[in-house]
Amino acid sequence: MHKLIHSNIGRLLFFGALGCLLFLAGNRVDELRVYQGATLAMFVVAISSIILLTGYSGQVSLGHGALLAIGGYSAVLARNYWSLPIWLCFAVAVLATAAAGSVLGTAAARLSGPYLAGTTLALAVGLPSIANQFSFLGGEQGLLFDVGAPPASLGADFSPYKWYFWIASSAALIALWWLQNILRSRYGRTWRAVRGNEVAAELAGIHVGKAKTLAFTLSAGLAGLAGALLAMTIGTVSPSAFPLTLSFSLLTGAVLSGVTTLPGVMIGAVTLVATPEIANAISHRLGDSGAVTSNLPGLLVSALLILVVMLVPNGPVEQLRSIRTRRSVSTSR
Amino acid sequence: MFTFIDTLLIGLTSGAVYSLMAIALVLVWRSTRVVNFAQAGQALLSTYIGYECMGRFHSFWIALALAMILGAGVSALIEMLFMRTLFKRNTGPIAGVAPIIATLGLLGIIRGGIGIFMGGKETIIRPPLSNVGFTISGHTFALSPFKLVILSAVLIMMILLSLIFTKTNIGLALRASAYAPEIARLAGVKVDAIRTLGWAIAGAAGAAAGMLQTPNGTGALSPDSLEFSLLLVFGFIAAVIGGLESLVGAVIGGLLLGLVLAIVLMYVNATLLFMTAFVLLIVVLLVRPQGIMGKKAGRRA
Amino acid sequence: MIGTNRRKLLVASAVLVTGALTLSAIPAQAFSVRNEVGVTSNSIKLGITLPMTGAASPGYNKIPGAMKAYFDYVNANGGVNGRKITLVVKDDAYTPTASVQATNELILQDKVFAMVGALGTANNKAVAALVNPGRRGIPDLFVNTGFSGFADKKAYPTTFSLFPSYIMEAKIMSMYIKENFPGKKLGLLYQADDFGRDALAGFKTGGVTFDVTVPYAPLSQATPTTPPTWITKLQAGGAEVVVLFGVSSATAAALGAAYAMKYHPQWILGSVGGDATAIKLAGVPAPLFTGVQTASFLPAPADTTDEYVKLFQTINTKYNPGATFDNNILAGMNTAFVTVQAIAAAGKNLTRKGLITAIETKGSTFASAGLTPMAPTATSHTGYDGYWFGTYDGTATLKPNGGVYTVYTTDSGAGAVAKSTYKRPAMPVNGLPTN
Repeated sequence: MHKLIHSNIGRLLFFGALGCLLFLAGNRVDELRVYQGATLAMFVVAISSIILLTGYSGQVSLGHGALLAIGGYSAVLARNYWSLPIWLCFAVAVLATAAAGSVLGTAAARLSGPYLAGTTLALAVGLPSIANQFSFLGGEQGLLFDVGAPPASLGADFSPYKWYFWIASSAALIALWWLQNILRSRYGRTWRAVRGNEVAAELAGIHVGKAKTLAFTLSAGLAGLAGALLAMTIGTVSPSAFPLTLSFSLLTGAVLSGVTTLPGVMIGAVTLVATPEIANAISHRLGDSGAVTSNLPGLLVSALLILVVMLVPNGPVEQLRSIRTRRSVSTSR
Repeated sequence: MFTFIDTLLIGLTSGAVYSLMAIALVLVWRSTRVVNFAQAGQALLSTYIGYECMGRFHSFWIALALAMILGAGVSALIEMLFMRTLFKRNTGPIAGVAPIIATLGLLGIIRGGIGIFMGGKETIIRPPLSNVGFTISGHTFALSPFKLVILSAVLIMMILLSLIFTKTNIGLALRASAYAPEIARLAGVKVDAIRTLGWAIAGAAGAAAGMLQTPNGTGALSPDSLEFSLLLVFGFIAAVIGGLESLVGAVIGGLLLGLVLAIVLMYVNATLLFMTAFVLLIVVLLVRPQGIMGKKAGRRA
Repeated sequence: MIGTNRRKLLVASAVLVTGALTLSAIPAQAFSVRNEVGVTSNSIKLGITLPMTGAASPGYNKIPGAMKAYFDYVNANGGVNGRKITLVVKDDAYTPTASVQATNELILQDKVFAMVGALGTANNKAVAALVNPGRRGIPDLFVNTGFSGFADKKAYPTTFSLFPSYIMEAKIMSMYIKENFPGKKLGLLYQADDFGRDALAGFKTGGVTFDVTVPYAPLSQATPTTPPTWITKLQAGGAEVVVLFGVSSATAAALGAAYAMKYHPQWILGSVGGDATAIKLAGVPAPLFTGVQTASFLPAPADTTDEYVKLFQTINTKYNPGATFDNNILAGMNTAFVTVQAIAAAGKNLTRKGLITAIETKGSTFASAGLTPMAPTATSHTGYDGYWFGTYDGTATLKPNGGVYTVYTTDSGAGAVAKSTYKRPAMPVNGLPTN
């Protein structure tokens, strides 16, 4: 088993099994949960995009929402103007966003820390407003995105939400599988070297700028996929679907997951999906005052964010791992 | 001709507000190497404090002073309670991201808290001086007594702080604690106290930005006031244009941003506000990454 | 060593995925097929999504309180056919993503009978595309937007408009300007999105051309640079009459900046940004309102001679204490009133289908505070179709021009603008519709 999971075939089998489990789960739960499952899968892709960028190549993006917007819009345009089949629309989204990401990445590789953070922040504020300038982008109301009804062979009872869930989960599984492979490859090692110490990496013959640009490009591709999935789950793209708060909540999800640990990605995604419901339950107990109900979700997420950064800065998974490592070191002694 | 003069005046007076926010961001950056995104929330909180003070003391100027003092206190507290622990504890890849994320979290907490306690209340701050422009030979210009106050506040703050930084030891200590805390400590600098001081001054500057901009706009204050998130973004752009290191740069950056925006809105396209700000930022970063006033040390955090 | 942990973590995350999904399956309940969803013999559950937080929320966040107040009043008087109404409110902060999420929760989790008064054009479009209440047969009543498309039954089978469209408003305003301000230089300040563009289309049909047009990017009114440039432009163009199609924060910013530059044109505000309380809340003192004109389709909120306004004010004092009675409260209560009227008209055996048929067949005779009739038919779900014009006095109180409501009506197409001859039927006894 140990060896298996390390081989490529092993990982493939593992993700295949995960897919089967998800398939079974999707059949057991009600429609709302299936829908939330699709949203969850979207968050998983978006957060792993940030993890790749921040955790593995040490760059910060506060404007991932803008990249999601590029992905969402390109998928919708491909669907509406060229009537491409849906999987091809997702591919277009990935490629278009990766292309935009490589341009941005080239600029970003020259910036570091706060400059990159600020530039991406400005991007998240500025980019969606472009849609208002061009009528083929649908203006403030945006464009509708119809991925089509589920294939008839799945039966008449098969709800569209389950269809979204299937698409989103498969996309997430493929993305994660691919990302695992990349991180285990030569590129993954290069990024870790750059992240660890830029100067040392450069001395070891690594072209730091190139490595960073590549990471930004691939991360953008994933963000594009997430954007297309988001467009699917809300059935539309519009500037207001990609607000600054989306960028911030994705970052929150990444920090909660632990920016350096891909396997923790579920934690962040589940938290993002579950927080509104938890906040609702709490404010219901507190007597449903308007001010509390509306502000509690944001407050909860922010508090969680601070707690995690203060107490388990590298994420719960990494924390667990370092405790384990320490313990096993001491027992082996 | 009048239109052109008005455009320049609009650019300068609105740029002054961006400058104030940029000063606050630069101060925090200089003392602790952090871009403080919670600055928008702190400014909002300080302005609410100022509003409450106005209710008590019925004077805008006393309220402004109190808001700045209490804003400084809040800012110092944040540094002591959160940032200090963060800097000491964090290592690894998260270290570069953690402070940014922590300030974002603080922003959310401050906004949420204000939303719960102050949401839905009617809060309006009226300007202490006339907001109506000066009239010369029949034309009313886009420059009012209150806007003059804002402009001079920016200049006074810039000169005063620059003097403190260049003529006193505090400025040197601030730089030393930011760049090489260990060495500074060995040299007898009280690094922690100095960093807290940097945050406190920034808190006061942010409070001044909030207290002056609110009556400069429509006067209305709400937890959802977009003014404050926009102030943050525009203030940051101004700070980067100026080089993020220099107070004079922050002021020039803010005024330049205001001028460019006003000219584009007036003469190019009235809807291009956000695009223009973003393009300006990108151009500055690509052409002159060290900013207008920055030295050529490169942009490494 | 690290590899083993990696594997364990991978397995752990897999367990988490399935765990989360299976755990969430537990509260899932079996579908109840017999009874209509959201209705019992003594209750009806309705749902609404709208911005309760965020930049778009001021003003609008008073609507649910007003609606609940009227429903409470009806419930205290025995409900509708013995059924008491509850309203579940969900915040969407004006983002379509959140609207879809919230509507899904309302329909799938809270299991509401119908949606009522959901706010926002983009939001309702997203909900219609995805949650698709139309396909599910869930009534989506009286959406709070002036987008003309929602009246189209083919595209939105269960959606009903209530407010006149922005196109109607601009057409009627065109005629009003041509009648009252001939030969004056005209200026237009509008939000550069579909809301403003709908208005532009209406003005084109209405045959009015503006000498100065100033578009602004949504939200840009919050920066100190923007509002003064509007005024400088309008002033430089010499506009004597300025029409403003923007949200209330933009209206407030424009009035404030104009005051600062001693620019006093005749302002005509569109109904969206024309509410006095919202503008006052955004910082404009009452005296600045003197002489500003605006359009509305409901009676003026301060007009106590109107039986609806009088009743709604009493209800507001009793069931919604602390909330200042204004246009938002009036509109919220009126929406609740029309909803009760529709449910009553659907009869004792309340079904979703029955409710839709009731509005389609009897909607044009419904009692409501509106000064024009609603115009729903079996093929079109149009709401009100007219406006009257009024002027604010020095206390920010809106008075109809000439002391009487002169209502003009039109449609969203090329139809002409005409003076309305509609006589509003008397209010049902105690404001409680029974059929």
